[in-house]
Amino acid sequence: MILYKGEIYENHYQKRLIDTLREDCYETLEKEEFLKIDEVIEACDKLAQQVKAKKYDDLILPLLEEFDIPYDYFLSHLPMFEKPSLLHKVETELGKNHDKEIPLNEDNNKRRYPLGILFHIAAGNVDALPAYSVIEGLLAGNINILKLPSGDRGLSVKLLSELIKIEPKLKPYIYVFDVPSTETETLRIFAEMSDAIVVWGGDVAIKAARTMASVTTKIIEWGHKLSFAYATLDASDKDLEGLAHHMAITDQVLCSSAQGIYVDTSSREELDQFAKRFFDIFVEINKSHKPVPFGMKSRNALQLYYEELESKKSKKKILKKDGISVITSDDSQLELSMMFRSIWIKMLPKDKIIQNLKPHKNHLQTAGLLAPDNKSEEIKSLLIKAGLTRITKGKDMSRIIVGESHDGVYPLMQYSRVVESFK
Amino acid sequence: MKRRYVRKLFRTRKIYDLNKTDELFVKAMRENAVYHYTNCLEYKQILDDTSFNPFKIETMEDVINLPFLPTLYFKHHELFSKPLWRMPIKATSSGTSSGFRSKIAMSFGDLWRGFQMIRRIFAYHKLWSLKPVTYLIFGYQPTKHSQAGIMKTAYGFTYVAPARKRVYAIRWTKDGYQVDLELIKQEMIKASKKKTPIRTIGFPAYTYFLLKEMEAEGIKLKMPKGSKITVGGGWKNFYAEKVDKFEFYRLVKEILGIEEENCVEFFGAVEHPILYTDCKYHHFHVPVHARVIIRDPETFRPVENGQIGLINLITPMIEGTPLLSVMTDDLGILHDKCECGVNSPWLEIIGRVGIKDITTCAQGAEEMLKE
Repeated sequence: MILYKGEIYENHYQKRLIDTLREDCYETLEKEEFLKIDEVIEACDKLAQQVKAKKYDDLILPLLEEFDIPYDYFLSHLPMFEKPSLLHKVETELGKNHDKEIPLNEDNNKRRYPLGILFHIAAGNVDALPAYSVIEGLLAGNINILKLPSGDRGLSVKLLSELIKIEPKLKPYIYVFDVPSTETETLRIFAEMSDAIVVWGGDVAIKAARTMASVTTKIIEWGHKLSFAYATLDASDKDLEGLAHHMAITDQVLCSSAQGIYVDTSSREELDQFAKRFFDIFVEINKSHKPVPFGMKSRNALQLYYEELESKKSKKKILKKDGISVITSDDSQLELSMMFRSIWIKMLPKDKIIQNLKPHKNHLQTAGLLAPDNKSEEIKSLLIKAGLTRITKGKDMSRIIVGESHDGVYPLMQYSRVVESFK
Repeated sequence: MKRRYVRKLFRTRKIYDLNKTDELFVKAMRENAVYHYTNCLEYKQILDDTSFNPFKIETMEDVINLPFLPTLYFKHHELFSKPLWRMPIKATSSGTSSGFRSKIAMSFGDLWRGFQMIRRIFAYHKLWSLKPVTYLIFGYQPTKHSQAGIMKTAYGFTYVAPARKRVYAIRWTKDGYQVDLELIKQEMIKASKKKTPIRTIGFPAYTYFLLKEMEAEGIKLKMPKGSKITVGGGWKNFYAEKVDKFEFYRLVKEILGIEEENCVEFFGAVEHPILYTDCKYHHFHVPVHARVIIRDPETFRPVENGQIGLINLITPMIEGTPLLSVMTDDLGILHDKCECGVNSPWLEIIGRVGIKDITTCAQGAEEMLKE
């Protein structure tokens, strides 16, 4: 499906539409006033109200069901798209006077402007993400070209075309194409005409985007991140329970999901005792959550059986029950877990935090900190120096707060530029 | 060492009479387990670590309790129970998403047993023919550049009936292996005007893609009498396409004029070189040379027939590598009843474990620009 100036087309119109895309985008730049952020916010707010009024449930409910997301949880995130939140976001990220000329000195003014044209390459792991990326582009005032991820089920096109229905002025600012990643020539056309490529995804996606971009195109990367929990041996049961809930809810699939727990110790014995303590809590907490999907449970069971066969050599210890597991080992390597509630627990004494984590610099995102108050400041400081961008409580690792940065930076600012001009 | 029971098992005439061979099967398993235990140090350690005594295999329950090895294990370890120079076949699996390949070796004895098995299974399914045929192979042209097991199997199949000609879809060129389905299409068109029957062999997905293309081009042929479509090598790598078997048979009938009963599918794996051949209802019945256990992923205990679980494949056939109990990455169901009249249960393969529910921030996104 293609969305072009508010109209939906079948994919075979692709070539014809791409032929006129550059001209149409340039014409918008030439003839239109700058997009008013307030109008974008109003439109998003109306759309959010419609979602709340269950207008799109036929589309949304099956997706929630499939990804095992409770309806209430979904609703609790909707306010993010409502007026007060969006106003707050814009103000936090761009400043109060983002649409005004401000004096730079006696003779000159400065003002924030959109970059111009953004090309979004969205990842497929969250269904509404592609649309969200475009909305951020609009909030900064840009024209947006979106490449849908493979396996997209139409939610993004639906939401964006509804947004245009609410506010027809957005028509020339939104273009969505369903181009496969293999059509690099087409993607290059998009990249070439854009001021920036906004790419979501892992290292492979980012590398590909880098090869696509000419030197005049900026690349804004929302890359693959890893998150973990950091616990002291005297972390409270309550904190561990909170983390266990987080692990059971997110199944380690989000950038902000804890893949495992680093423990502030250099003793394997202490580590294994801690692991046993956490495992017992995890098993209990897990009973209040939906079971691990059968296919993933089977995959992990095989992997764990294999690890057991290798355990004599690898020195790994495995605790498993009810489809969930924890593995302890001698190393401190930051890595992806098996996911779906099979996590790792490793030693990382606090004086080794920087040494061990700094090499991962831009791949680090959230650390859930489980430590008594008198220790947390020191550890927090070390984690920040190592390159983490969010420090939260264990239970809050995947929480979303309006106005918070994205991987340490403000996206709307990334999608903007500051222009100085004489008075 | 004498291989009395294994030899007897592979000479069994009634190839789907599982009940009558249970006792013999257990004995053959003991024989094979003891052989690997005494000839492969690494295998011995695995059994010792779990305190399993292979000399005491006396019942089917003992076979169930024999530690299985996951295919993943063969991808990281080379286990051989004979010196490599004494083994004529060294095969690798065709590789999956993990990027690793299993390395398996087979001895002359293994090959002889394989031949015995194939001879009887083909006789049962009436696949032998004296009439020369044209082989259209949807697979690799054998060269010194690849050791993929599937290729060896495909070449072996071309002796089932005398070959007038062999045409390969994946041929070795100066740029490596290249797929050329157009050539096969032209051969099909030529063959439809002659009397020599054709036999296709190879990956079902390629066959399917070609037939789809021919359908789109409006090509309809009538292949000479005696033509057969045989497919094997699994539908893996193509789960996304969700090719429906019956859609495939419909295409074969419509495009090539070959009846469904002349479509035969095989299933096997490098780690379990038993030939499963589908019956006329397209079910893979377990032959006497093997047993299939479907295990619960939680407890690894066998589940009842009709229930889904992990597929564990068991055979005492091989002495080159300890493949006697191999756990696949696939989920499946063992079914009891089939109208074809064979009493042996049949295996339904559901698909690779956990392949479909993974889309993550960390992994899924990487696939995006790769595919």
